[in-house]
Amino acid sequence: MREFITGNQAIVRGAVRAGCNFVAGYPITPASSILNEIVRAFADGSGTVVQTEDEIAAIGQCIGAAMTGAKVLTATSGPGISLYSENIGLAQMGETPIVIVDCQRMGPATGGATATGDGDVMFARHVTSGSYPIPVLAATDAMSAYRLTYEAFNIAERLRTPVILLSSKAIAMTRQTVDLESVELPAAITRQRATSNGTFQPYHVDHPSDVPDFAPIGGSQRVRFTGSIHGEDGVLTIDRKKIDAKLKHLNAKIVGNAASLELVEADLDDSAETLVISYGLADGAAREAVKQSREHGNLVSHLTIFSLWPVPEIALRAAITPSIRRVIVPELNLGLYVEEIRKQVPGVLIESIQRIDGGLIYPQRIVDAIEQIEINAARGEEQLR
Amino acid sequence: MTIIAESKPKEYCDYLLRPGNTNCAGCGMSIGLQWLDQALAGEKPTLVIPACCGIVTAGAFPTSGYGVPTAAATFASSPALASGISAIAAINKEKNPIICWAGDGGTYDIGIATLSAAAERNEDIIYICYDNEIYGNTGGQRSSATPEGAVTSTTKSGKGERKKDIMAIMAGHRIPYAATLSVAHRDDFLRKIKLARATKGFRFLLILSPCPTGWKSEPDESTDLISTAVRSGLFPVYEVFDGKRYRINMKPDETPVEDYVKKQKRYRSVAADPKGLKDYIDQQWRYLIGMAKAFPATKDDGAFLATDVKAE
Ligand SMILES: Cc1ncc(C[n+]2csc(CCOP(=O)(O)OP(=O)(O)O)c2C)c(N)n1
Ligand code: SF4
Repeated sequence: MREFITGNQAIVRGAVRAGCNFVAGYPITPASSILNEIVRAFADGSGTVVQTEDEIAAIGQCIGAAMTGAKVLTATSGPGISLYSENIGLAQMGETPIVIVDCQRMGPATGGATATGDGDVMFARHVTSGSYPIPVLAATDAMSAYRLTYEAFNIAERLRTPVILLSSKAIAMTRQTVDLESVELPAAITRQRATSNGTFQPYHVDHPSDVPDFAPIGGSQRVRFTGSIHGEDGVLTIDRKKIDAKLKHLNAKIVGNAASLELVEADLDDSAETLVISYGLADGAAREAVKQSREHGNLVSHLTIFSLWPVPEIALRAAITPSIRRVIVPELNLGLYVEEIRKQVPGVLIESIQRIDGGLIYPQRIVDAIEQIEINAARGEEQLR
Repeated sequence: MTIIAESKPKEYCDYLLRPGNTNCAGCGMSIGLQWLDQALAGEKPTLVIPACCGIVTAGAFPTSGYGVPTAAATFASSPALASGISAIAAINKEKNPIICWAGDGGTYDIGIATLSAAAERNEDIIYICYDNEIYGNTGGQRSSATPEGAVTSTTKSGKGERKKDIMAIMAGHRIPYAATLSVAHRDDFLRKIKLARATKGFRFLLILSPCPTGWKSEPDESTDLISTAVRSGLFPVYEVFDGKRYRINMKPDETPVEDYVKKQKRYRSVAADPKGLKDYIDQQWRYLIGMAKAFPATKDDGAFLATDVKAE
């Protein structure tokens, strides 16, 4: 069935399909309608929704509910995710799955409350003190917002971690035609439960990149939960070996499973000289630009990245086919993610296209970039960087 | 303190609230800010405003609404930002008042920690909450100031919980002055602003602020609604000195609360039988009358302004 819905409605639908049964949130443009919609979605009693007194409480309630086994979601924007920060760290330390939607606005502080941008891509990655990794996904439109919300729940449950889904004002509040039922999705994942045999260690793992088995707090197994550094028993520790093991585990659990987290769409042309890499809001323009450029006779590849962090290294490398000479990265920020791509593909000419004033990058700018680079490269000029 | 009367007409830009601002028609903020301006009689306050409709009023040219210095604070921290300004103003011996102008969200909910702390430190700030009982700026979600039964975008069949008694909370901080102000009673309103201005330390003023957009009421009925709220007893008009001496300024008459409820579609789910609101009025008045009897204000409380008030 085709529907005409906003990105925020798509997120709610994705969450419901993933089995989300607890949402706590605090109103903020452009995320507010997620809260309003979820009130409607849970009106049949299928879940609990709470409007809290602020964002600290919203994510706090989510952590509490998730500790009992609920599948939780909270949604906000820049000012709110700033207030989430400490609790995201708590969820990370306590290995608690939460899906956090960040409907980005333009700029810092209030910024443009009703203007769009993709400025939180680095903030999302480094949102906790210590910068331990958190999977970050980025939607490009309503359809991907739906699919990625579902995927975010699966990642959160599988790796027992907070997951951030980046959307933006333009995706959140724009209606698009979608057919959600036609989307094929993997089976929904629920945390691996601990067996009741033997002594229960709430954070025991055999290998650093493993995920500890889950037992709900308040159940028959004794679960300890603390934001302080702790050993496998959940008890605060000053033993440096245990500290080292815990922190390495928090890193390895994400980085060591990076290959399984890659979500991209590759539209590659084996003889292409130019590769456009896009994510978030710039992706729509990139698709259109690639299409137009191909119509003009150019050989262009396109890679859409949905899983920003960890960086999808395998897909990136695969997209740099032998003939690729340059990469174009359009972004609605100061050119933040392009630096990451530079690290991954050294030696390739990379051009960054940026826009930060709340407006969109139009396809023509990308087309111009593709075609101008063609000409200059033919002349052997390298100063386009 | 002498209050200097205005001697010459103001220029467009000099008004605290300029004409041509973006407030909705019938918004209680528009009355409150103009009366605040009149009561300050030429003094220019520094406004500190958290996220709320009132900071949208500050707006972009040519609709920038304030003719006085205005600082936008984060939603949670207008009392903190104002405390910082106040500390330096004191060192510099600056006289102009520092006024927080905040909605109920910034006061009852997200801002209550910094509000409580500034009150506890007895900062030299006038804190004014224009309480429209809703998150007007973000599309009308409930707040802890939303009354029982009111429909909001997050309480679709009417709010189940009661309105928080912020006056009792603030009185509990034993601040020098706390009062409720009605936008249907100008003399009382102006007197209280002047009294707050003449008092040192933390002063808390609560305005029930009509919001036609959120209340689903008619803009031209805004002041009538507040008048009805006062006469029915739903919005008691009183003041508390040092958090422990009470004076009730207006007694309710026999006006039924139904007269208030039926003019606002937000009350559609309880309009037939606003029992919850009636109980609320009952309990609130029993408490207030008890307090005013047990801990009455003395004739010295606010007395030095008595003559100014009559002159209004
Ligand atoms: C930390 C943070 N969370 C949320 C918001 C979004 N926000 C802006 S104004 C507002 C509601 C304000 O309500 P209220 O204080 O009652 O004032 P009103 O809008 O009704 O005038 C919200 C939720 C924000 N700006 N900052
Ligand atoms: S929404 Fe309500 S409070 Fe906000 S400006 Fe309009 S009438 Fe005033």
